[in-house]
Amino acid sequence: MHVRLIGLLAGAAMLHAQKADPAEFFESKVRPLLANHCYACHTGAASGGLRLDSREALLKGGKSGPAVVPGKPEESLLIAATAYTQDRIKMPPSEKMEDTEIADLTSWVRTGAVWPETSANAPAAAAAGYQITPQQRAFWAFQPIRNPAPPKVRLPRWQANPIDAFVFAKLDEKKLTPAAPASKQTLIRRATLDLTGLPPTPQEVDAFVADKSATAYAKLVDRLLASPRYGERWGRHWLDVVRYSDTAGDASDYPIPQAVLYRDYVINSFNHDKPYDQFLREQLAGDLLPAASEPEKWEHTVATGYLAGARRFNVNPLENMHLTVDDTIDNFGKTVLGLSIACARCHDHKFDPIPNRDYYALYGVFQSTRYPFPGSEKNHKPNNLVPRVQNEFDTVLKPYLDDVYKLSSRISKLEGEKRAFVEGVVPGRKLADILSEIVALTKERQPLLDQAPNVQIAYAVAEGAAGNARIQKRGDQKDLGDEVPRGFLQILNGGPVKDNKTSGRLELANWATDTANPMPARVMVNRIWQYHFGRGLVNTPSDFGKRGTLPSNPELLDYLATQFTQKGWSVKTMHRQMMLSQAYQLASEGDAANLNIDAANEFQWKFSRQRMDAEQMRDSLLQVSGELELGPGGAHPFPHMGTWQFMQHGPFSAVYETNRRSVYLMTQRIERHPYLGMFDGADAALSTAVRSQTITPIQALFSMNSEFVFARAKVWAGRLIAELPDDRKQIAAAYRTAYGRAAAPDELGVAMQYLAKTRKTLEAANVPQADAAAHALASYLRVVMASNEFLFVD
Amino acid sequence: MQPYSRRELLQKAGQGFGAMALASLIEGNPALAAGVNPLAAKKPPRPAHAKAVIHLFMHGGVSHVDTFDPKPELAKRDGQTISAEMAKGLKTNRIDFARAPMRGSPWKFGRHGQSGMEISELYPGIASKADEIALIRSCHGDAFDHAPGMYLRNSGSQFPGRPCMGSWVTYGLGSENQNLPAFVVMSDGAMKSGPGVYNAGFLPAVYQGTVFRSGEYPVLNLATPKGVSQKAQRTSLDLIAELNQRHLGAHPDGSELEARIASYELAFRMQSSAPEAVDLTKETDATKALYGIGDPLTDDFGRKCLLARRLVERGVRFIQLFSGTNIGKDWDDAHTDLHGSHTLMCKRTDQPITALLTDLRARGMLDSTLVVWNSEFGRTPLAEGTKGRDHHPYAFSMWMAGAGIRGGQVLGSSDDFGLRPQESPFDAHDVNATILRLMGIDHMNLTYLYQSRDMRLTDVHGEGEFTKQLLGA
Repeated sequence: MHVRLIGLLAGAAMLHAQKADPAEFFESKVRPLLANHCYACHTGAASGGLRLDSREALLKGGKSGPAVVPGKPEESLLIAATAYTQDRIKMPPSEKMEDTEIADLTSWVRTGAVWPETSANAPAAAAAGYQITPQQRAFWAFQPIRNPAPPKVRLPRWQANPIDAFVFAKLDEKKLTPAAPASKQTLIRRATLDLTGLPPTPQEVDAFVADKSATAYAKLVDRLLASPRYGERWGRHWLDVVRYSDTAGDASDYPIPQAVLYRDYVINSFNHDKPYDQFLREQLAGDLLPAASEPEKWEHTVATGYLAGARRFNVNPLENMHLTVDDTIDNFGKTVLGLSIACARCHDHKFDPIPNRDYYALYGVFQSTRYPFPGSEKNHKPNNLVPRVQNEFDTVLKPYLDDVYKLSSRISKLEGEKRAFVEGVVPGRKLADILSEIVALTKERQPLLDQAPNVQIAYAVAEGAAGNARIQKRGDQKDLGDEVPRGFLQILNGGPVKDNKTSGRLELANWATDTANPMPARVMVNRIWQYHFGRGLVNTPSDFGKRGTLPSNPELLDYLATQFTQKGWSVKTMHRQMMLSQAYQLASEGDAANLNIDAANEFQWKFSRQRMDAEQMRDSLLQVSGELELGPGGAHPFPHMGTWQFMQHGPFSAVYETNRRSVYLMTQRIERHPYLGMFDGADAALSTAVRSQTITPIQALFSMNSEFVFARAKVWAGRLIAELPDDRKQIAAAYRTAYGRAAAPDELGVAMQYLAKTRKTLEAANVPQADAAAHALASYLRVVMASNEFLFVD
Repeated sequence: MQPYSRRELLQKAGQGFGAMALASLIEGNPALAAGVNPLAAKKPPRPAHAKAVIHLFMHGGVSHVDTFDPKPELAKRDGQTISAEMAKGLKTNRIDFARAPMRGSPWKFGRHGQSGMEISELYPGIASKADEIALIRSCHGDAFDHAPGMYLRNSGSQFPGRPCMGSWVTYGLGSENQNLPAFVVMSDGAMKSGPGVYNAGFLPAVYQGTVFRSGEYPVLNLATPKGVSQKAQRTSLDLIAELNQRHLGAHPDGSELEARIASYELAFRMQSSAPEAVDLTKETDATKALYGIGDPLTDDFGRKCLLARRLVERGVRFIQLFSGTNIGKDWDDAHTDLHGSHTLMCKRTDQPITALLTDLRARGMLDSTLVVWNSEFGRTPLAEGTKGRDHHPYAFSMWMAGAGIRGGQVLGSSDDFGLRPQESPFDAHDVNATILRLMGIDHMNLTYLYQSRDMRLTDVHGEGEFTKQLLGA
């Protein structure tokens, strides 16, 4: 079998190789395929000890022996490995080459593995010889977005919304039966939690159930989309993907008090339905875009907080800006294009047509961009932030900060003397004197801290010195290779930057959002779909490359992407289209026979039940207890920046309690918020495209015993007792508030029994009657808050 | 699916319902498909030499040339500088390698055990175990600050965001006890790296390290709040089960609903198993004395080491102890006071660690438990100031014991001054690959698909894995 296959391939290759000049055959056939399929691992990186960039290297081979025996393809490991006939080694590991390519390789070995003299010993440069092949170009994700007509479906009611036509045609094809429509109570709870992250109030449920008009549901969706709570919910999704953080991520995790401006920009952009292409342009190059007014100019500046928010690394982040640039490229690729560009940092991308050079073409753009400096152990003073009014900054804030820093540095010097005492080195002064000086200076500084002038500054980027980057060989910033002109990805029609005097960021923003580039629209409609339906049509929402999954319904994806760009990149329009589909309104339970065909519900035959995520759960607990404080979150109570002395030995670390919505919680990079971490909240050090939904006993303990849950139950019980006269009414109200439905009579009965029993136990333990009633109700409400019906969204 | 009656449900919960519960709904990861308990014990894919790991991490940086790697040459040339050639490429924050003087160790080294392993007088107890431990004197790295060093050694990357070793091991092997966390962390308090060094990174939260605090209730939210009796809580849980049961009846196809029902029973059981696991009153006075419990100097770390043994006995997979903190006396005080810091920290840990090895051996547990002693780096063989040593990641020592490792051997060596590895250099990835291998996992094959890339603890490294040498086969 093994030998026969090689024989066949070799025979085929001989036919079209015979006439070719061996050198030309090598250059036209063999070198490109080695470059495309092998060089990522087998040049400098020499995986398995094997290099494939010279004849000598091939003959010498790697750990498993020589790669090639000239003239004898059947004895050549290279051929067996690429033909996948070797037991252990199958190369390339990702995917077998085309048969014609293997045939060419075999033919080349058979005819003596000729490697033309001129290039015999020249090691392959990072991307020398890299050519995007027609096969790579033919990959689905790089094709222009088509506008497929909705298919004809069996039932007329499936034809009304084109989304349904696509979905139900697929269900028919897969022999799946759609579930029944969800009840109105279920639907309003689903839609409200989906769009606002909060459960509906009993009044909202009543109104919706009572509205028998045909447009009741459409009106509901419109109402929810108009709520400011919508941006807080969907803005959070975006913040997950762009790994938003209120700190920098360096070893001392310096706070970024201005990060909230970007957070609020994102929330407002969703609320105002900012066209998505404009949203992207502002985040990539807001500072360079025309603006109609000063407030708009400022908004654009703040938007570049996206780039500014790239991670900082290590004790001295300024020495690691190459990693910050890498993090920028990585996040830009995943977020905007759905491509893992950063894989091409050390070598050509192993799976997608992104050569190492393209990475450094983009690198040059960000290297020419000035990032703000958040402060670090080596230098506590933030720098290069962007003031709203430069003059105000120069004449008011800067002199003010200089005054504060003067006092702070005196205090810090004294602190050093104090530490010397602790370490046993007596600096020739009395400890008491040092301490009293610290007290005095701190006191002197306080009024100054209290009078911080209100000068607006943004954590934003600006143009830096424009220049190209040189390739960092294998990602080593000290080992530099060729200079690469600044530019954009070849596979997406990107060329070099035209205006060489600029960083190229504006051109980047325009290139990325050009409708000729199919990626951003497909990637974004897929994300919207994913958050609505629980999984994306492409189930790897930040990777549309070869390692990602294929779309489960490619026609639907392209239909949506077309709609998106045609309707002015309006995200709210996409919400309406998706949510008004019948597919979105299906019940979460369906025909059990479907489970044998599509257990994961890839094709949307029912609604995928979701566990509330960390923010939904916390916000819901605060809402049912009546404590949720709505409105913008504002700034975090960070210590005054003039006092910062954070070091790796004493990094910034804080948890700020608030009854505001969870999107307004302060989140750090190197330390996760204890609550959010427990419930799979986004990790600010990573781009989170899909939240995990783990279920753990540690979470159960939170529901059973945490102070947070006890406090909410206590307040809620107090409110119910104050507002309603008896058990029955209190329980009924709890049901409506928590579950969005009325309690059934037997449910009321069970609850009343529980209350009576608990009260009796408490009274037996000499708890006064009034207290016993409050405790018992709180205990019952904790049960409600811990129940699955509360925590899951059907 | 027929909904269960409450009794059936509780019965199932009592008999390893946990095995199918605790479902995880991780998309795109078949190993974590709904309905599969992500913490169920898994058979190691390769022959395993140990079932559990106790990872003793000396946080702050332990001076190798004063503990496990004698350098008489330093004493001979005390006060001299090294050549410019030798200093080239060595860098830390506080000293200049071309100018700082060599400093001989103030401690004496002796030969110990049948093997004659050289260990200093700082560690008399561990020295008495020389024939149990395999010492590695050629560890090296380039992260000369605490946080990057800790992240590197624990997660394979200098920067936050990657899952740590404990998370990888529990992801790979699950746990043998569903009533306790699979991966337990005990520290002296805040660390210079922050808690990220025991994070699960992109792995699901279920693999995160659970911090055990001191006291009766080691896990966060484990204790029922004041005024809630055990009985009252049981009543509440029964009602939760009843409501969930009713809900499940109306939503029969929901493994995630069942998983969450089970998670309450597991949590309830954890409320009794965790306090039982940490209840040291069950231990004999002799055992407590062995670990130094009661002596103010060794009490704290002694308790942690004894707890580690108790957790291993109960099937916990990975226990990580950190000695040293950000907020008190610790190893890193060696910047200004080598003598004081190392005298104190060795005294705090020597007897407990020795007791742990003795106790594990006596109970027949050492052969199935891997004990690792490690630090983020060593300290400079050159002086910092008059009394200190700075961070030194370029060569340092660690040791391992148990897991069938051949004791009494020394792997690798550093040069005459302890500046760089001389023979068989091992980096963090080599060490981590070796730990995985001892647990029966090939580091190349333990992967998790994160954003379309198969991520590994060892990233693209780990080729210098040295299990064979350790086992001495």
